[in-house]
Amino acid sequence: MLENEPIKRLLSAIAFTNDQAAYKELFLLLHGRLKQFAYSILKSQEEAEELVSDLFVKVWEKRDQLTTIDSPLLYFYATAKNLAFNRLNKQKRQQNIRPEEWLVQLNSIYFDPEQLMMTEEMMRQIRQAVNNLPPRCRLIFKLVKEDGLKYKEVAELLQLSIKTIEAQMAIALRRIGKYMHMEVNQLSPDANNVKKS
Amino acid sequence: MSQELFWVLFSKKLSGEASAEEMGLLENLIQQHPEWQYAIQNLEDLWKYQPYKDFVQEEDAYMLHLHRMAELNIPFGEVAIEAEIPAKERNRLVTKWYWAAAAVIALVGLFAFGGLFNDEPERNPIAQQVNEITTRPGSKSKVQLPDGSVVWLNAGSKLTYNKDFGKEIREVTLTGEGFFDVAKNKEKPFVINTATISIKVLGTAFNVKAYPDDKQTEASLIRGSIEVTIRSRPNDKIILSPSEKLVVENNVPKADVREMRTGYIERTSLPVISTLISVNKLKYSPVDSTLAETQWVNNKLVFRNESFTELAVRMERWYDVAIDITDESIAEERLNGIFETETISQALDALKETIPFQYEKTGNKIIIHR
Repeated sequence: MLENEPIKRLLSAIAFTNDQAAYKELFLLLHGRLKQFAYSILKSQEEAEELVSDLFVKVWEKRDQLTTIDSPLLYFYATAKNLAFNRLNKQKRQQNIRPEEWLVQLNSIYFDPEQLMMTEEMMRQIRQAVNNLPPRCRLIFKLVKEDGLKYKEVAELLQLSIKTIEAQMAIALRRIGKYMHMEVNQLSPDANNVKKS
Repeated sequence: MSQELFWVLFSKKLSGEASAEEMGLLENLIQQHPEWQYAIQNLEDLWKYQPYKDFVQEEDAYMLHLHRMAELNIPFGEVAIEAEIPAKERNRLVTKWYWAAAAVIALVGLFAFGGLFNDEPERNPIAQQVNEITTRPGSKSKVQLPDGSVVWLNAGSKLTYNKDFGKEIREVTLTGEGFFDVAKNKEKPFVINTATISIKVLGTAFNVKAYPDDKQTEASLIRGSIEVTIRSRPNDKIILSPSEKLVVENNVPKADVREMRTGYIERTSLPVISTLISVNKLKYSPVDSTLAETQWVNNKLVFRNESFTELAVRMERWYDVAIDITDESIAEERLNGIFETETISQALDALKETIPFQYEKTGNKIIIHR
């Protein structure tokens, strides 16, 4: 999981010694996630790629100012969000699209079931459960699980309350847990037999 | 009720948000419901699972990013190789390639009658200044040309261009291997001359491999389109589409090669040989969708289904060594792999795992035998 501390260390190395290896490491650490995040708003791989590059140009140019940031991870995601909105604005495309309209994809649901000692069927159901989450819920789940943001950071990024994040996370996990026969007894007695051929 | 509370607490625990008090509360809940254990275990496993990260693709993205920084003229990194470069030429060279520390770039002003072009005096009656950039075996370099095009030069290569580069056309001569990212300019086509082929482009990215001691010359197109003329068949033009690779056999006798370089090609004087030409699809790696052809730019020596002989030639350039394979069956073994940070000894030891052989290394000379 991504955390702020290693990012802070890299940012310091970049600012104080112009450390190019650290700059590269930071890029490799964040590029994929930020690109996917930008893509969810821009819905174009090319533009998302460019946006991340723009963002890292900023990181290099403003390297002196980035060492005092408390939560660099939030800084990166918030900047990516702003850059994406600016782009949409410029192109006179939709402005400030709501998180409900973002195109959110989770990567970590594409796993090898054997690796996690699960059956194919269970994996399929987990995927379906995640993909069927309401868009905002799925976004929050991704930001916490895959991008490593804290509840507080997600709340700030999406302008929501921490309580909302808490509730949405609980909903996401409950829906996935359902497919692990958690609620077998509470569900209808034939829940176990609901299988498509 | 207890279930709803459970999900809030459990997701907090997974996310690392739960306080000590909440953890205690959660423990209590779980103890009352042993039947939840299975789902809890699975969810914890699922939570810990991190998606596979494709580092090679990330490295590619980083390379593109650095390239973009260069295009935007954003100073990045230290200046390593200024001493030999005349001040007015300085801005032409991108000196910030971080791994190019070992690269040696010599930018030399040569005059036609004394140097390179003494075999074409008629074409250049006036002394002409030539810029020459060379890389030694074992080193690589990145150069920015006056028009903003960027060229990565692989080990043991040479790129030259005249002083009037860009006046009418943008013309360079390449010996060895280069990855070209050509700045768009429809008015002034960019032409690359090698011993065997000539490539004309408007703006695109592609790799050219034209080492004089290789059997083949290759051009691999990444994006855009390029027009290739084979010197022994000047009337045939081959247009490459993205993800295509042109391979031309270099079976032209030396004497003719020089003649062709001068641009005076008389068809009748050509030896009667059928130049072998093939156009193939570039094979992207199924694992990480990278191209073996361009990975050297990322400082990786990638080989896919290459014979040990072919690989040895590349290793010679890569590591600045001489390799002699004395056993024919070993020389014909086909190999797959990547060398990145390995030293020559580590690389040889890794190969020994696949093919049983022995080697002796004295200085730069390596002898491989059974």
